[in-house]
Amino acid sequence: MSQIALFGNPNTGKTSLFNNLTGSYEYVGNWSGVTVEKKVGILRHQHIHIVDLPGVYSLHPLSRDEGVATEFLLTESFSAILNIVDASQLKRNLHLTVQLLEFGKPLIIALNMIDVAERRGVKVDVEKISQYVGVPVVPIIARTGKGIDGLVHAVLSTSKQEAQRFFLNYGIEVETAIHRISEQLPTELNLSKRWLALQFLEENQRVHEYLQASVDIGPLLEVRNRVQELIGRPLPQYIHDVREKWIVDVIEKTTIIAPKQPLTITERIDAIVTNKYLGIPIFLLFMYIMFMLTFDWLGSPLADLLDQFFSGPLTDGLSKLLSIVGASPFIKELVLNGIVSGVGGVLVFVPQIFILFFFISFLEDSGYMARVAMVMDRFMEAIGLNGKAFIPMIIGFGCNVPGVMAARTIEQPKERLLTILLLPFMSCSARLPVYALFVGTFFTKHEALVVFLLYVLGIVVALLLAKLFSSTLLKNESSIFVVELPPYRMPQALTLWRSTWDKGKGFVRKAGTFIFAGSVAIWLLTYIGPKGIGVGMDDSFLAAIGGVLAPILAPLGFGTWQAGASLITGFLAKEVVVSTMNIIYHAKNMDALQGLMVHYFTPLSAISFMTFVLLYIPCLATVATIHKETNSRKWTFISISCALCIAYLVSFSIYEGGKLLGFS
Amino acid sequence: MFLTDLQQGKKAVITNLGMMNEVVKQRLIHMGLQEGEEICLKCVMPFGGPLMVEVCGQCICLRRKDAACIGVK
Repeated sequence: MSQIALFGNPNTGKTSLFNNLTGSYEYVGNWSGVTVEKKVGILRHQHIHIVDLPGVYSLHPLSRDEGVATEFLLTESFSAILNIVDASQLKRNLHLTVQLLEFGKPLIIALNMIDVAERRGVKVDVEKISQYVGVPVVPIIARTGKGIDGLVHAVLSTSKQEAQRFFLNYGIEVETAIHRISEQLPTELNLSKRWLALQFLEENQRVHEYLQASVDIGPLLEVRNRVQELIGRPLPQYIHDVREKWIVDVIEKTTIIAPKQPLTITERIDAIVTNKYLGIPIFLLFMYIMFMLTFDWLGSPLADLLDQFFSGPLTDGLSKLLSIVGASPFIKELVLNGIVSGVGGVLVFVPQIFILFFFISFLEDSGYMARVAMVMDRFMEAIGLNGKAFIPMIIGFGCNVPGVMAARTIEQPKERLLTILLLPFMSCSARLPVYALFVGTFFTKHEALVVFLLYVLGIVVALLLAKLFSSTLLKNESSIFVVELPPYRMPQALTLWRSTWDKGKGFVRKAGTFIFAGSVAIWLLTYIGPKGIGVGMDDSFLAAIGGVLAPILAPLGFGTWQAGASLITGFLAKEVVVSTMNIIYHAKNMDALQGLMVHYFTPLSAISFMTFVLLYIPCLATVATIHKETNSRKWTFISISCALCIAYLVSFSIYEGGKLLGFS
Repeated sequence: MFLTDLQQGKKAVITNLGMMNEVVKQRLIHMGLQEGEEICLKCVMPFGGPLMVEVCGQCICLRRKDAACIGVK
């Protein structure tokens, strides 16, 4: 089966096109670095694989996600390249195109965002440009799907064609060097020798390593040094300039650029949201509105409605059904007290989580995300990070796992590692049910405020930790920050919904699998004990396990076996804390559980408990991702142990400090 | 003079990127910020924060200390 690879600059709509071509719904957004890992899909109704790759400006990787694209060219076999080019940024985009053309595989150019380009006064003559470049060029609008049929047609016919013959002359000196290097490359290499030689001359580190593995690199370096001397300036720059000259020439002949348009909408919005003084307040206001909608204005009423449904009609109906089919009391108990309380207790928070995800999706799709990075950079610089690290942090509010992955776009290894380490302190949506449960019980008047403060606490702890690490363990590496600010666009309703659903469905799926299984297991642990089956809750295995932790947790204000048990199970996924409590306290619904909680917690210990849940340990999935991304047991272990120690210390100070101040 | 000496909203031509950090320079060149291009300083963040510039119709945000290494005319 043939394979076609999607290449293009960051934020040119590769993933939108991929989704259109394959009919899948991969994650899209309006900032550079949404895709950090390659993804494979199948072209609609055809036996062709399409591979979506992270966006790159050139084939020289500067960050980890960019490395994925170069790696793909070097090591994977594929039949053609689909190069997506942003028509409004032709000059910059064509640099990558030239490098891909030199690679020698059949290539098709998908000229995207022709609508945006036209609005900016750029008109591209598609026929002409296709003639100059020597490959098919298809104009498309990936967001709306316009022109996709023509593109599919071109892809199908190209995969039968022979390789294209693109040739750009770099001048006698460089051409001689290319020739010399090509001669020394072994014949069994499957890649274009000209391309390898050029990339080597351009000092592409990855290609350097690749060649080193198969040939003696010494003579090649000699050739490179000699031609460098002949030319009298850095080779990468020289090669870049040759390409630039060719590109400018092509653009001149194929596009008409209207004189500068009046202020665009983007410029007008930017004048406000990236205003010197208003930038940060506007960002905070946006966050505040997000929290108020999630907890106060919209989310809580919806969650209450759902809760009433679960505890009322659903439980009654199930109970009747089970009686009719003659289920044993054991099964009845398991379903009603185990599964319904456990899974239902988590599902009631679906509306709040979807509202949160909706906002994050809006942030991603509108183009504001990169501005947030810019507004926050000064602040992040002070703690040894850069503004780009703020993007994974915001994504981490949804779920820590994609947040950790998103850190790949950060160029400096140190900053990337730091960002990964502090991500678990970003309060993810799975922790939200725990807060909602407790604030609904103890802080009914200030729900949003208390939760907001918890989020802030998470950020503050993360930043302090970053400061600590960057000034001790990981110093001596300079920080780098360059970010592209994409034009704003109004997110399409459909994209927003898909993006929200895509993130939210993970939560729902978890409820059906992980939490379902967890609920059954937890309920069984409460049902059986060392003395037999059907024992009282306090004599069960779960009580015994949780009891071990109780004395350790006592100084934090919640030294009960119930708290201990729910925290242990919370490692699987943080929302399981709520499931466990529902089961342990035999609560039929949230109101009942909240009524019971008053006997076991005080407002102060509730805060201490929420803080502990916020900080204590990254969930299982996050730990696995951290291990995968850092590729280091040491850092994974540091991440876990740090979290545990910090959680204990902070909760301890809150509880004991609060007591001293006279709170209870 | 340097990019940081430019007034907000004013344009200049980039003349020298030679003094910059290598990785930052590479990134900027990839984004289209290179010698000979016209650059416009769009805004400056407070407390020594980053700058937003426009090159070839593309907005780019970079740090002040990096901007201070970009020679313009």
